[in-house]
Amino acid sequence: MSRVTQAVIRKKRMLPAAGEVFVKKGERVSPATTVAKGKVRNPYIEGIRLDLKLGVDAANVKPYLLKRVGDEVKKDDVIALRRSFLGRTKVCRASIDGSIEAFLPTSGQLLIRGAPIAIEVKAHIPGEVIEVIPEEGAVVETEAKSVESVFGVGGETHGEIMLAVEKPDEALMEAAIEKEHRDKIIVGGSTVTLEALRRAHEVGARAIIVGGVDEKDLTSLLGYELGFGITGNETLGMTLILTEGFGPRPMDGEVFSLLRSFQGKLACVDGTTQIRARMLRPEVILPLS
Amino acid sequence: MGEREEERIIIAEIGAANTKAILLRAKGGSLQLEAVAEAPTTVEPPRLDVTKGIEAAVKRLEAESGERLWGDEGPKVKFLCSSGDAGGLHMIVAGVMGMISRESAERAALGAGAHLLDAFSKDDIRPNYILVEAMRSNRPDIFLLAGGTDGGAVNQVLELATLIAKSDVRPRFGEGYKLPVIFAGNVEVRKQVSETLREDRYATRAVANVRPDIDRENLGPAKEAIYDSYMEHVIVHAPGYDKLAHMVKGQILPSQAAIGKALYAYAESRDINLLAVDVGSATTDIYSVYNGIFNRSLNAEVGLTYGILNVLKIAGVDAVSRWLPYELNEKEVRNIAANLMALQPEKLTPEEEAVRDAAAREAIKLSVELHKRIASRLKGIVIKRTIADTFSQSLEETHVNMAKTQAIVARGKAFEGLKETSALILLDALEPVGVTQIMYDPELLVSHAGILLDYNKDAAVKLLSDRILKPIGTCVCPKGKTESDGALKIKLQRSTGLTTTETIPFGEIKAIPLKAGEMAELEAAPSGRLDLGRGRGKTVKSVVTGGSLGLIIDARGRPLPPPKRDQQRKWLLALAAGKGGA
Repeated sequence: MSRVTQAVIRKKRMLPAAGEVFVKKGERVSPATTVAKGKVRNPYIEGIRLDLKLGVDAANVKPYLLKRVGDEVKKDDVIALRRSFLGRTKVCRASIDGSIEAFLPTSGQLLIRGAPIAIEVKAHIPGEVIEVIPEEGAVVETEAKSVESVFGVGGETHGEIMLAVEKPDEALMEAAIEKEHRDKIIVGGSTVTLEALRRAHEVGARAIIVGGVDEKDLTSLLGYELGFGITGNETLGMTLILTEGFGPRPMDGEVFSLLRSFQGKLACVDGTTQIRARMLRPEVILPLS
Repeated sequence: MGEREEERIIIAEIGAANTKAILLRAKGGSLQLEAVAEAPTTVEPPRLDVTKGIEAAVKRLEAESGERLWGDEGPKVKFLCSSGDAGGLHMIVAGVMGMISRESAERAALGAGAHLLDAFSKDDIRPNYILVEAMRSNRPDIFLLAGGTDGGAVNQVLELATLIAKSDVRPRFGEGYKLPVIFAGNVEVRKQVSETLREDRYATRAVANVRPDIDRENLGPAKEAIYDSYMEHVIVHAPGYDKLAHMVKGQILPSQAAIGKALYAYAESRDINLLAVDVGSATTDIYSVYNGIFNRSLNAEVGLTYGILNVLKIAGVDAVSRWLPYELNEKEVRNIAANLMALQPEKLTPEEEAVRDAAAREAIKLSVELHKRIASRLKGIVIKRTIADTFSQSLEETHVNMAKTQAIVARGKAFEGLKETSALILLDALEPVGVTQIMYDPELLVSHAGILLDYNKDAAVKLLSDRILKPIGTCVCPKGKTESDGALKIKLQRSTGLTTTETIPFGEIKAIPLKAGEMAELEAAPSGRLDLGRGRGKTVKSVVTGGSLGLIIDARGRPLPPPKRDQQRKWLLALAAGKGGA
């Protein structure tokens, strides 16, 4: 099911929102090179019932507001204040760092959006920057062999390839995973057991490339059941690439031989899969230089 | 007469993967289906022009018909079209009360063929800030806002409009474009709603209230407005649709709306209640027409490739596995389902077929449960109950009633296999009661008939009856349970004069050959404790039509007892015995 190709690969490395680009055209980059940095809107919003805190009707909250929509606030900043006739003061403070998103006069609710989240885009593959897209990112080019696979979990990572089995139809067992596999891309054969997956995670392996895995074991590892085939945002800390599918499936001989020939060399992998939306399959990139 | 005789029409349905075109020609005073052709849909690079796919499909029609149908400007004959590509029409709806105006808005949107991304109401249990985030994170094609009966609620409607404005809801296509908002609520607040939703962000239009009174629902104007907005604001963003709009006569409808219209017209023409299931790759649609009321629901979670793991996740592996004809352990079932999702094999192994068919039953069950909520009586009405109501079903929450369903229509991935498999999936998942005709849409042409409706209703209905909907058979299914051996006595008198009598023991399935289109008089006498929809032990007389599996007697009782592993093959063989008449 997997497909091997050799080509000049161009990767567009872009921020989701405008930011600062740190590379120049013609510059040589490594997978860990920071291409661009920026900030994106925080999806987290916290609502504060000012009417309850100030002890007034929702419709009467507005005069007590000290901040306007769009103002930045720090946690514990005073955002509304009410001095009563008898001198007792009711104070309402920001519960998070962020900015005032909206005030809803009908419900007396103030919405604070969390502070923007810093994001960083790395080069992911080694190569040359052939184009800079101002404020957004750059295009990195390299000649490489690549393996398009069937399914993956976990996002982009890179590391040195290390085979943990001898043959493409051999199962990757827990005993085959050692401390030396830390930061490595482990290559298995037909399948990987749940114990081996947990062990690899424990020793700090960056990724496992294997023919298949039992869906039930993957569910146990993730802690939730897969729904639609859209992955890539898992926070596992380890990427898993299935070259052939689910269940025990011997790895394609050509793929196994290719990975064996790259033993000790760099591999850049991405488990992101979007079967329905854009037919995005996980890939293993093996740079040639 | 002469011009009508020369008439030719091409109808295309632009699907996510393929564009299917049909050629209709006037012959002998009616429109007849002459050719069907298909080509890949071209909305992805490098062929970013939807008309290219249509052209390819029409050129295949040319090859079949032997005449030139495509000219420099597009089709040379009358051309009608529906579109279901890009995942169809994505909508958000909102209403003041969840069970009243929001539910009516949901029915309008779903009935217009939409994929509902979310539904909001003032009594939503989610706090406002979550609602704001949910509105913002979904990028709909159209927003339908309802709420307040005419002359009723004002403030709550305006609060909803304020919430939409604050959320800055952006349309799915076209950054910088205005999001179409259809206001179908209290007629007295149209102006304020339109002022609340800024003109530079929202293209707001007001139509008649979906719930003008608490006891009346009026979905037609909202649906029409959805179709118009779909044409004006949504479809224009897809590549090549500007060219397509000039080629098409009339509206380009969402395909699901066309299917709904066709099924409604068909049920209306036969004066029957109908339930249709469409189990696709990622989603399952259910359509129903009961007592002239049409409803559609969409279960966007469950399907048979992309959505099959969701069936396992929601229904549970055990629920799916119970329908398998042989033992497969949990790991095997999960792996097969995951591979159906990840690999989407074109040719299935027997194990893959078994898992897909088992999942289809649960996908239908889950989706029908959802449909029952949509196809429900209007809430918020004070109903005076009398002692007579204790025994009547007039106060049932849902319109869906299998004992009052005269026809079942099936389409989609689940019904691509053998007829007996399709029939058994429907019998197991829907548990029809009484006498019910089962049909299917093997070439997926119901949407084409739906498009034709606005142009020539009689021809569209005739096309459905004569050509598109293929009868699998008529099933006779008693409700209840009995110990007696002779559960159901059947007497079938054919038009040839031949009479067949059978006694079917309780717990069995039997199919009696009866050709498609052949009619026969049926007399079915259930034993004392069984009910064919007219009461326990009461004989039912009916004129039935045949199909590829003839007359199907499902005497397993209702509710169905838990399936036994070795019985699945037995039922398939029993159903296959009905093929003799086909």
